[in-house]
Amino acid sequence: MARTGLSIAAGLTLVAVLTGCGGDESGFANRLAPAVAADGTKTLRYGNQTEPGTLDPHQASGVPAANVLRDLYEGLVITGADDKIIPGVAESWTISDDRLTYTFKLRSDARWSNGKPVTAQDFVYSLRRAVAPTTASSYADIHAPIKNATAIINNDKPPETLGVAAPDAHTLVIRLKEPTPFFLQTLTHPSSDPVYRPAVEQWGDSFTQPGHAVTNGAYTMDAWRVNERIRVKRNPYYWDNANTAIDRVEFYPIEDGNSELSRYQAGGLDWAATVPPAATARIKRHIPDQYHAVPTIGIAYLGLNMRHAPFADNRKLRLALSMALDRDVITDKILRGGQPTLYSAVPDTVRGYTPVEYDWQDWPDDKRKARARRLYHEAGYSAEHPLQAEYLYPSGGVGKTLGLVAVAMWREVLGADITPINQEWKVFLQTAREGYDTQIFWGGWIGDYDDPNTFFSIFNSKAALNYTGYDSPAYDTAQERSSHTPTGAKRTALMHKAEATLLHDAPIIPVWVYTYHQLVKPYVTSYQPSALGNYYSKNFDIRPGQDADGGAGGH
Amino acid sequence: MLAYTLKRLAGVVPTLFILLTATFLLVHLAPGSPLDGDRPMPAEIRANLEAKYHLDEPLIQQYGRYLANTAQLDFGASYQYKDTSVNDLIATGFPVSLAVGGFSLLFALVLGIPLGILAAVRQNMPADYGAMGASLAGISVPNFVLGPLMILAFAVYNDWLPAGGLGGWQHYVMPVIALGTMYLAYVTRLMRAATIEVLRAPFIRTARAKGLSETRVFVVHVLPAALLPVISFLGPGAAAILTGSVVVEQIFGIPGLGRFFVTAALNRDYTLVLGITLFYGIIIIAFNLVVDVLYGWLDPRVTYR
Repeated sequence: MARTGLSIAAGLTLVAVLTGCGGDESGFANRLAPAVAADGTKTLRYGNQTEPGTLDPHQASGVPAANVLRDLYEGLVITGADDKIIPGVAESWTISDDRLTYTFKLRSDARWSNGKPVTAQDFVYSLRRAVAPTTASSYADIHAPIKNATAIINNDKPPETLGVAAPDAHTLVIRLKEPTPFFLQTLTHPSSDPVYRPAVEQWGDSFTQPGHAVTNGAYTMDAWRVNERIRVKRNPYYWDNANTAIDRVEFYPIEDGNSELSRYQAGGLDWAATVPPAATARIKRHIPDQYHAVPTIGIAYLGLNMRHAPFADNRKLRLALSMALDRDVITDKILRGGQPTLYSAVPDTVRGYTPVEYDWQDWPDDKRKARARRLYHEAGYSAEHPLQAEYLYPSGGVGKTLGLVAVAMWREVLGADITPINQEWKVFLQTAREGYDTQIFWGGWIGDYDDPNTFFSIFNSKAALNYTGYDSPAYDTAQERSSHTPTGAKRTALMHKAEATLLHDAPIIPVWVYTYHQLVKPYVTSYQPSALGNYYSKNFDIRPGQDADGGAGGH
Repeated sequence: MLAYTLKRLAGVVPTLFILLTATFLLVHLAPGSPLDGDRPMPAEIRANLEAKYHLDEPLIQQYGRYLANTAQLDFGASYQYKDTSVNDLIATGFPVSLAVGGFSLLFALVLGIPLGILAAVRQNMPADYGAMGASLAGISVPNFVLGPLMILAFAVYNDWLPAGGLGGWQHYVMPVIALGTMYLAYVTRLMRAATIEVLRAPFIRTARAKGLSETRVFVVHVLPAALLPVISFLGPGAAAILTGSVVVEQIFGIPGLGRFFVTAALNRDYTLVLGITLFYGIIIIAFNLVVDVLYGWLDPRVTYR
């Protein structure tokens, strides 16, 4: 008795500390303590999810690495307001009439962080390095539009044959294999960034480390401790240094969303890159002006393995599963993070393209479910003979949440008997890639560049990411032709044909549009949402004394 | 004793060899590859990568290569953190784990030993119930509950301590308490039980009968004997505190070795998993050896053979 009593007393003391003591009861009182040093040095502290595996722009992958690389390196072109392509190191460019030759004029004041000029030769070296088999970049294929790139990746030609040339120090000529309407978009990807040849040759794999790294972006490496923080400091030679306000940026790898939120609340972060779904309602109530939900160019979908039964040669069954899902319930009731529902292969966040969507998205629920049931029966399944299949998802992610809801909906609407199976992330990737054992599986894809092709290309029968085994000559032809047709009505028609074919064949069940959730302190000014998630620290400022309405709501 | 120590040391190399071989086989047998990522690569690029990391060679050849490098204390390059070597990662991660773990152990011992003695001396009195109740709570509340609760209380609702990261001493307070509380509870209970047992032993009665002062009886006779269980707990305890700091490191964003270990396993970072396993193996063997030697020094009944 006495022991229990004491434990309870101890527990109550803790609760008292938690809730009382005249502290901040909501936990959301703005700790307006920006990191501005006595000498005026401004530091932006950024929650960056996971530790980047590498800061070599040609080897890096993933959003956290891209966030750091955007500050460190500047490509020929970058993105500006509304994610439009704007000049980076290239101050202007011309495209030949046959759309095969791009000539970039580099700005003469572009400098590396050691003061040396950024030249066209730097880009020739870097692009060759990006595709060279010795670099073994997992993003090498993003350069496939450039002449000979694919042959170089395949070890059939030496890197020197790549279609890039530097007639003089400030002119860069890139020759393409075929006209590629989204070529400029691929140049905003980190794997198109220049690297400093002497640093790479001197230091090898560690050329990215502070003290070794020479960068040409607004910032350069200052300190890097794996799993603690990456700190970058102003590049004193950056061409636009005069207009850069933030002096230092610290990137904290905090994987756990709740830990990140408490660090943000406690004033240790100015920017949190994720929001735990369970905390969204509280955040919207207390600090709505600091919360930003920005749909991005990413899709969450369920893949159906078309190589084997039951989904091979059974379009009606695939469509029935898709129609049985109530996407509004999934996004509004389960995810609750402002995710738009998805009824197409390309999200409408991609600029300059209006996706083809399933016409049943606006049907009343009863009609949609009735059609789903009818298709299910026509596909050869019934209450006596229900569909039995497995849904495979990676442990510890949103794939589980979606799966459990989808399984329940399929049971309720169709009477299908779907078993959720989870696998650890790397095992899941291998199983999905091999495609022997999968039936229904979790799928997610964030586009590499701002063009529909980044989505259409993954369902090509030859694509590595085509885990569904979808193999449609009609689709492949439309997709491949659209990737070489100049922007315009003809290209749009080809893309619409590809998308309509894909939706008709239904190898995937599109569910929602990926959405970034950010918390940004009000004293961080000039925040503008970017669907691509392309935030450049050089565009921000820290203005202590900004009240809650001052900065974040902005423009 | 010297002969015993040397004999134990001679056993270290084969032990580590077996540890290394078993771990090598297990990580390579595990499904999934370090090259699998969200963005799958075209076959040609994958082949380029496999060639770069020698993953295209037969396993036995990879094993031979790894063994040769390890013999020169070169754990190779990390698959995940490509810009650094495994040696560097261990060299930066271990001091952090050591600091957090060491202070936690210190916290457990400095508080636990007096608390345990107090509870034993005041057996079945309020002080005893208080100490035992608190230690029961300490054992029952896991650190992944205690950590976030403390963060809420001391960092979010009140602005007393930082919510995470590394920096001054303030950054260590909550992680040390979160990690050390369970060990504090163990030490308290062990110390209490041992003290009660020793207090009842005939040799204490003899000491008192000789007319020794109560202080002398306690310091010279009771304490060394009562400390033995705590000492023997120290070996595995210290190893566990070092290797078991994963959760605390994750919650507080501390760049220690435990976090590397777990992410390495999840990422199939073969070289990092092997490097840390070997390193931990050495640490655990060393701790156990030190404890065994210390044990005999404290307890005259123990002889070494």
